[in-house]
Amino acid sequence: MQYMLMINEDEAVYAAEGGEALMAETLAAHMALAEALVAAGVSFSGERLKGAATATTLRWDHGKSSLHDGPFAETHEELGGFYIIDVPDLDAAIEWARRIPIPGKGAIEIRPVWPMDAN
Amino acid sequence: MRIETAINDARPRVIGALVGHCRDLDLAEDGFADAVTALLTLGAAARPVNIAGWLYVAARRRIVDKVRGDARRAALLAREIALEDAMGDVVAFPDPFPDERLRLIFACTHPAIAPDIRIALALSIVCGVPMERLAAAFLIPAPTLYQRLGRAKAKIRDAGIGFDVPERRAWPERLDAVLDALELGYAVAYADGAGALDADLAPEVRRLAGLMVELMPGEPEVLGLMALIELAESRRAARVDAAGAMVPLSRQDSALWDAAAIMRAHHLLDRAATLARSGPRQIIAAIHLTHARRVSGAHAPDWATIARLYDLLCALRPGPASETARAVAIAHRDGAKAGLAVLDAINPASITHHRGWFSARGHLLAELGQPDAARAALRRALALAPPPAEAAYLGEVMARLDGAVAESVPLA
Repeated sequence: MQYMLMINEDEAVYAAEGGEALMAETLAAHMALAEALVAAGVSFSGERLKGAATATTLRWDHGKSSLHDGPFAETHEELGGFYIIDVPDLDAAIEWARRIPIPGKGAIEIRPVWPMDAN
Repeated sequence: MRIETAINDARPRVIGALVGHCRDLDLAEDGFADAVTALLTLGAAARPVNIAGWLYVAARRRIVDKVRGDARRAALLAREIALEDAMGDVVAFPDPFPDERLRLIFACTHPAIAPDIRIALALSIVCGVPMERLAAAFLIPAPTLYQRLGRAKAKIRDAGIGFDVPERRAWPERLDAVLDALELGYAVAYADGAGALDADLAPEVRRLAGLMVELMPGEPEVLGLMALIELAESRRAARVDAAGAMVPLSRQDSALWDAAAIMRAHHLLDRAATLARSGPRQIIAAIHLTHARRVSGAHAPDWATIARLYDLLCALRPGPASETARAVAIAHRDGAKAGLAVLDAINPASITHHRGWFSARGHLLAELGQPDAARAALRRALALAPPPAEAAYLGEVMARLDGAVAESVPLA
């Protein structure tokens, strides 16, 4: 089964003092995770997103659209990146999700991807 | 063995095995129900010896029929069945087959399922407790419970919650979820001393806990939970008086306690101790066992030991319930004033809805000769929806306060 691991975290920790070093550490941890996924034979993809300040939201309301500056929901934790992994079950997905580095506060949402061969 | 009992015993094993194949609880349950119907239509003479094996094979055929329209699933099942058939006679259903039952319990109490529905799901699927009885026990309208169980089952299916017994390193978290669910289930069943619910649901939770003891005999917290249930059960005849009011533990007539159940709890805790891994459930059971010593002649509970055990419990399981109970034990050991000081030091934000805290405070204030403050505290407790037997008891305490002498009433 494919799962999307959505990384929501407080971007502010990377903007604060020492944030650059923290980001370097976090990126290194992501590289290590990617290597571990490869080593375990898990097929996966993933991307890092630019900061929430760069987000533009296209909002729809019954056929009428409007554009907004910023992410669609105002929260302290922003979607900062994601992985899509292919593993046997939720427990395996949770195991991998635990290994995603979150240096400050944050949350990983684990969602199954709708399978293409099902209705 | 009665056929109904045999079917009940077979249920978790067969559904567990079925789910291992079809990975869908609804399908497995439906298949099992169909197989049971078929079994019951057989005459007594035609009844198979191996009920579980027969039900398993019959249910699996029904499931294959049902998924025929779904090409992908049918292919998957057919492949599994062909594999298994090639391995030998499918009728030789392994018995006992503990993993089938365990994986069902683990799946139903998975941490990814909402905590308050886990025990209902486990009781419904593993023990086959009917929806109406669960709804009555959990005080939820049946349609709501039905909907929530449906949502939980859909989550298991759609989020891909596996039906495998978790790896050993994942046990602490997973096993805790199982034990929490059982503990919650038993607390719900046991909450109302005079209620009919209790008699109805408690044996089911006890059965599930017993199953865990059988399946995971090397887990001390499983043994601790079972001991706790045995101890609670041992006091069944003593916990409510003739008028239907709750009798606090320390005031119960120990002659009414079931000495055999206490002995069983004793053995369970001894076994747990040899495994040398302590945990909150073992400590709570040890506290109750210390109370139970009165059965063999001790006149008063050993409050010093009980208070020390509560110190440990508060470290392992901090929270208003443990801390309130600890304050009461300290009151018994060092006097009401000392107990009240401990009680009042508990984080006020954590106790605004904690009936036990207000009740304990009321008792201690009464003992300290402050009837007005005691009444106010007891009224708060009464406003927090106590079950009928506890409400009757609190009412009695209030009535006694209204009398000339504020008699002290120890609280369990």
